[in-house]
Order: sequence, then structure tokens, then C-alpha cells
Amino acid sequence: MQDFKLKPMKCELNYLSKSDGSAILSQGDTVVLASVNGPMDIKTVNQSIEKATLEVLFCSKEGKPSVADRYKENIIRHTCETAILGCLYPRTGITLTIQELENYGGLLTCAVNCACLALINSGVGMRHAVAALSCCVDGAGELVLEPTHAQATAARARLHFVFDSREKSLVTGFTEGTFSEGTYEEALARCRAASDLVFAFYRDIVSNYCHVI
Amino acid sequence: MTEVYKHIHPSKYFNDYINQDVRPDGRDFDQQRDVIININGITSADASAIVKCGNTTVVCGIKLELARPKAEEPDIGFLISNVELLPLCSSKFRPGPPSDYAQVISNIVSDIVINSKCVDLKDLCVVTDKLAWVIYCDLVCLDYDGSIVDACIIALITSLKTLSLPTVTYDNETEEVKVDTGVKIPLQVHGLPVATSFGIYHKLPRNIILADPSAYEEEMCGGIGANLIVCWNKGLFCGIQKFGGCNLSTEDEKRTISLAKQRCKLVEQVIETCIKNGEVK
Repeated sequence: MQDFKLKPMKCELNYLSKSDGSAILSQGDTVVLASVNGPMDIKTVNQSIEKATLEVLFCSKEGKPSVADRYKENIIRHTCETAILGCLYPRTGITLTIQELENYGGLLTCAVNCACLALINSGVGMRHAVAALSCCVDGAGELVLEPTHAQATAARARLHFVFDSREKSLVTGFTEGTFSEGTYEEALARCRAASDLVFAFYRDIVSNYCHVI
Repeated sequence: MTEVYKHIHPSKYFNDYINQDVRPDGRDFDQQRDVIININGITSADASAIVKCGNTTVVCGIKLELARPKAEEPDIGFLISNVELLPLCSSKFRPGPPSDYAQVISNIVSDIVINSKCVDLKDLCVVTDKLAWVIYCDLVCLDYDGSIVDACIIALITSLKTLSLPTVTYDNETEEVKVDTGVKIPLQVHGLPVATSFGIYHKLPRNIILADPSAYEEEMCGGIGANLIVCWNKGLFCGIQKFGGCNLSTEDEKRTISLAKQRCKLVEQVIETCIKNGEVK
């Protein structure tokens, strides 16, 4: 395996006292706080007899809701829905609230990772953990893994991927800008390999947390 | 009888078809629905197109307006697209403010158009810091039967290709604007982004990839909306979005990419033939 360097990650589980599970995660200078509540009772219209309904609320720093926030919520909801074993909790709702605290690039990947940690912390049954990574193509066509804010804004294309922890298959992917097929495959392969580091980090955090209990 | 069966055992009904290597509407897994395009159907709009992909119908109308460019970017114009999913098109949508799903689709469509750089926003600037064109692209779905993004992109690009901008003269001293609709210059459209949607159906031992899923198939693949949207534009990708559904393996991903490329060629031909026929009239 190549030697990958990700941005330094710091995390604290159970950051909030009143929610069923919470996590605060910083990746580089980007900081996100996530809280999970549930499974709990919800309105009958939203109930599904097959699985738990996952509701995601993304609060940006500015506090004004926008179309871009709905898009982020959609990405996080779809990602977490595949990760959660929703069929264990039919007719209930799980609420996931994500608060952006600091954004210095890679906000969405940080939000997905933070959501995953909060879900692990809440004890909701899960199929697998998920790890989000981003990659950008700079002006010279070189791939940069986990770009800094300056690199990402100057980049020709930004690619984001989310992998599952069991088979490392693609759970979610979204891209900005234009790129060739070769670049896409290389970016996917690199992010896939680097996802091991994120999963190792999860394991570290959770085992540390277990020791404290 | 089959209709009753479909309602009582929705997933088994679908599974029975998939086990026979056919989809409920008789298509193969890779087969896409026919695309029908009609241009300039709305005479009050500056450009318009109606697109049908199977039953999915989308109407695109373009309106032109003049505005002052943003102070941060004084030399570029605006391209604003919006997708409306009214209760008319499906029972899934309720009247009222745009649903979350409509907002997500709007966002995906405008992202694809901006990312593909098919319209150079600098071409829309008339006088730097004073005057620029605003292209409002309103997309309305009349019939929702899956793969909405594909139809929206085709409708939008076809309309943009038929759009001509009137000549504008701007007097620097009096700030008077004169629009001459008699002399029109066609808008430069570079490339032709084409989106292709896929549904990923969970089945052991391997997942099934359904090209151009219908609304019913989307529902079976984990809810409203396609799972994977690949957008290809003249040798480059301008967006690969994967949300929900089953996880995607490497070989499946390669297949979807080659299918998207094939479809791109086909759609390109359809659009070009349609525009050529429109000019003859």
C-alpha cells in the first residue's frame, strides 16, 4: 500500500449529553458536530412499515437554509440509510442533525465521517461503517488526495467518494468539474486505498472510548 | 391478475421478472427508452424544447433578460436553471413549496450544466460591469416516470442549442440600452453533456444494473430517484453522482461508464437531427 497522508483527524464521542449519540470531528481545520436521536416515535405519515425513517438536518454556519443544504442532506441521508440496518426498527424514526462549525474545505466528507461516528456512538444497528474521502485534480492534471482549501478552490475537478468498511465498494460518489475516465478510476482507487486509514481511525477512537467506560 | 399481484407482493413481482432476465416493461437490463424531442413548441419563450424519454416528459423554456453583472465577477453573465416537479406529474409530489427532491434535482441539473462549461458565461456579458444576459431555463416535468435528470439535461441542452441572442447596443454616456431583435446571433454551445441514469437492484450473487429506470424501478431500487447518474461530455466526465441503492463494484462501474458513452452518441444524433429538421421548416 502506498503511503497516504490524510489531514490530521481529531474526534470526541458523546460530546453532547442529551442526544442518543453524538460526535465532534475535525479534519484539518474543518470541524463538524453531529447528533443522533432515535429510534423514536414519529408522525404516522412519515412511518415506513419496512424500515426506520432517517431524517437528516444539515445546519450551515450562516444558519440560512438553502438549496445546496438540501443537496448535502440528500447525500448524507442516502449514505447513512445504506449503512444503518433500518429493517431492525420498523415504524420508527432516526434523526441525524449535523452542525457545521468551521469550514476550511472538505466539509461534506467531514460531515459524512462525523455522521458515521455519531451513529456508531448511538448504538444503532449498522451494516457497515462508511468513510468519505475527497480528491482533486490540480491545474497540471495531478491528483491531490485530501486537498487543502486553497488547493480545492484552484482545482479543475473535485471528486468525493464514500466507501463501505466491508468490501470497500462505492456507497456514494459525487463530483464537481470535468475529468477524464483515467483520472476518475485513479482517484477512485487512491481514495479506496486511503479509506483504510479512516477506518483505522474509527477503530482507534471507538476502542479508546470503550476503555474509558 | 398481474396488477393485483404487483400490489400484494411488490418486491416478489419485480424479482420474478428480474430472475427471467427481463424488466416489467419488457426491456433488457441495458436497454434504454426511446427519446423524442420537439423544439420551439412554446412560441412565447426565446427557446424551448419538449423531451420524452419513454413516458417521462419534460418541457424546457428559456427566457432572456438583461441585468447588471455581479460586482465580484463583472465580465460574466448568468445561466439559471430550475426544475419544477408539480403534482401534475406524479402522485408522489404534493402542491406547495418545492419538495426536497425537486431542490436536489434542480441542484444536480444546474451543477451538470455549469460543470460541463457548455456555455461560456463570458459570452453572455454585453458590456463589462454594466450589462449582461441572464438566461432563465425553466424546466417543468409533465409526466414523471423515472430518470428525470436525463430528460432535463436533454431538454435544456436542446433549448440552449436553438437559442439566439438579440444584438444589444449600449450607450456609455446616456446608459441607454437598445435591443435589436431583428438581428440575432446564435449562442455558442461547446460540447453536449448527456446524463445517463441507472438503478442498482440488490440481488445475490451480484447486483443488477438497470439502465434508464422507470419510476417503478426506481422505487424498487431503494426509493425515488436514480441511484447513479453518469454525465459524459465530449470525452470528459462532467459529473458522476451515486446516491443510495446498493453499493457499486468496480466491474459494474466500468459497465455503466461504457453504457453512458454509447447513449451519449445516440442522444447527440437525436438532438442534431431534430435541430436540422427544425431549421428546414
